[in-house]
Amino acid sequence: MTAADTRLLHTVGVGALEWLHAHRHGFRLEPDAAPEAGFLERFKPVGELAVICKVLFREGVAGSRQADLARRLLDHAWREVLDGGRMLVRGQRTEPLSPIPFEVYLPFRELGHSQPELERAIRLNHRLGSWAGLEVLPVRRLGLSAFERRYGLPPSLPEDEAFGRTWLARAPEPWTVDTRVGYDITHTVFHLTDWGENTAGLPPAVAEHLELWLPVWLDDWLDLERWDLLGELLVVDACMPRPTLDAAAWEGFAAAQRPDGAMPALGPMPQGDPDDVFDIVYHSTLVAAFASVLATSRALARLTAETPA
Amino acid sequence: MEQPGTTPPLTGAVRELATQVVSTLTSGGHSPVSAYPPVTTGDDELGLAAVRVLGADVLLPAVLHRTLPAPADLAVCEKAVLAYPPGPDASPTSLWSHRAMVRTLAALGAPAAGATLAGPEPDAAWLEDLPWQALTHQLALLAALAVPPTGTTSGDAAAPGALAPSAVADVAQRRTVDIARGFVRAVRRRGWLQAAAAGRWLAHLDGVPRTLGLDAGLEFVGLMGGDDPRVALHLHAARPVRAGAPAGPR
Repeated sequence: MTAADTRLLHTVGVGALEWLHAHRHGFRLEPDAAPEAGFLERFKPVGELAVICKVLFREGVAGSRQADLARRLLDHAWREVLDGGRMLVRGQRTEPLSPIPFEVYLPFRELGHSQPELERAIRLNHRLGSWAGLEVLPVRRLGLSAFERRYGLPPSLPEDEAFGRTWLARAPEPWTVDTRVGYDITHTVFHLTDWGENTAGLPPAVAEHLELWLPVWLDDWLDLERWDLLGELLVVDACMPRPTLDAAAWEGFAAAQRPDGAMPALGPMPQGDPDDVFDIVYHSTLVAAFASVLATSRALARLTAETPA
Repeated sequence: MEQPGTTPPLTGAVRELATQVVSTLTSGGHSPVSAYPPVTTGDDELGLAAVRVLGADVLLPAVLHRTLPAPADLAVCEKAVLAYPPGPDASPTSLWSHRAMVRTLAALGAPAAGATLAGPEPDAAWLEDLPWQALTHQLALLAALAVPPTGTTSGDAAAPGALAPSAVADVAQRRTVDIARGFVRAVRRRGWLQAAAAGRWLAHLDGVPRTLGLDAGLEFVGLMGGDDPRVALHLHAARPVRAGAPAGPR
C-alpha cells in the first residue's frame, strides 16, 4: 500500500469546507416540528459540525482561509442555528431526558461557549438512574461515557466497560462486517480517541485488529462507492498508530468529490431540492473535511519525523 | 447462479468432474492398496478440457488419502498434460497449473509425465509484488498447489498443515496476512470459489491471524456456496488440515 500525496489529502478538506460554509444555512432546526416528529433530530448535524470544526482548529494544519471558514461556521451554528444555546434549552424542555442537547452542547462548551440553564438540566439528568439506564446502542453508550468525562462528570458507565460491550471490543470475524457494523466500528474508534484528539486512546489490541482488517474494508467500501462510510474509515486510518493514508482509497474518495467540494454519500451526487440534497450530503462532506484534516496532520507529522535534524 | 440447461458444455463437464472428486473424497473405506473408482469420464476433447481446468485436483483423493488413483484417471491426466503442454506465451499461472499436475502425476507413479518434470520450476517472483487483492486472485487459481507433500506413504504422513514445497507455496507462506485479507474480501463479495480457494491455502499456512476466524469462515463459505462442487472440493482439501489430523479417509 502506498500513501496518498499530502496535497491530495489537504485538497479534499479545502473543498469540503468551502461547500459547508457556502451551504451553512442547510444547518437548520425545525422549531415548529411536532414533538413526535422529533425536533431534536435536526440537532445532530449541528453537533457533528461543531465536533469536526473543533478538530480542524486543534490540528492546525488548515490554511488561514480554512481556519477562518471553520470559525465562521461555528459562530453561525452557535449564534444563528442554536440562538446562543437557547435552542438547546428549548430542545431539552421538549424532551427533558434526551441526551442530544448534551451531546450537541459539549463541543461548543469546549470551545468556550456557555449556556447555564442547559448546564443545570445536564447536571440533573446525570443524577437520574434513568439517564444511566437509557437503552441505547453500546457504541452510543460509549460515546455518552466519553462525553461525560470530557464534560467533567463521572461517566454513568465506566468507559472501559462501555467499550467492552461494543462489537469492536470482541475483535470479531472481519468478513462479517456490513455497512451497519462498519459505522459501529468507526464510531467506536471516534469515541475511544476523542474524535482523533487522542489517538493514544486506541487500545493496542484494537489497533492491531484494525491494522489487519481496515485495508480490506477500505478496499470494499471504495468499490461500493459508499463515500460516507469510506470517509469515516479513512478517519479511522488516520487515528491508527501507523496510518496507511492508502493512496487507492484517497484517490477514489477525492475523485468522487464534486468540483464545488460536496462529497456524495453514495454513488453519484444526488439531484433535486437544495435542502434535500444538503440533508443527503452534508454528513459525507463533513466527514471528508474531518478525514482530510486528520490525514493531513498525520502525513505532515510523518514528514517532520523523517526530516533529519 | 447458473441455470440448468443454459450451462456451457465445459462448465457442466467441470462441475461433473468436481462432483465426482468430492464424492470420492467423502466416501470412506479406501485402503492404501486398492485404487479409487475413476472420477474422469473419458479422454475426448471435453473430458480433457475439464481435466485441464481442475488440474491436479482431479487426483486430490489419492493425494489426500495417500492411496492409489484409478489407472484410468492417471491415464487421462497424463494424456491431458502431454497433449496440451503450455505454449510459449503461456501465463505464469498456466505454467504453474501444468507443473502441479505433472508433479502430482510423477509422485503417483505416472512415468511419462515424470520425464517432463526435469526442467526448473516456473518463476514465482511475480507474485511477490502483487497487491493483496491480485495475489489472492492468482493463488486461488493455483489452489491445486495447496496440498500436503506427495510421495509420503500413509505410514509416515506429513505433519498437519505441511504444504507440498514450491516457490508459490513459499510466497504464500510469506504473505499469509495478505491472503487472509483476500479471503475476507472474497467472502464480503460472495465470491465463494475464490474464498474457498484462499481458505484452502490459509489452512496450510502458519501465522494466520486468529481474528480471521478461519474455521467458522470456511464453514460459512460451505454453507453459502457449497452447492458449487468446486467450492466443496477446496473446502475438502482444507478440512483434514484444519481438523489437525493426518490426512486420511473421513
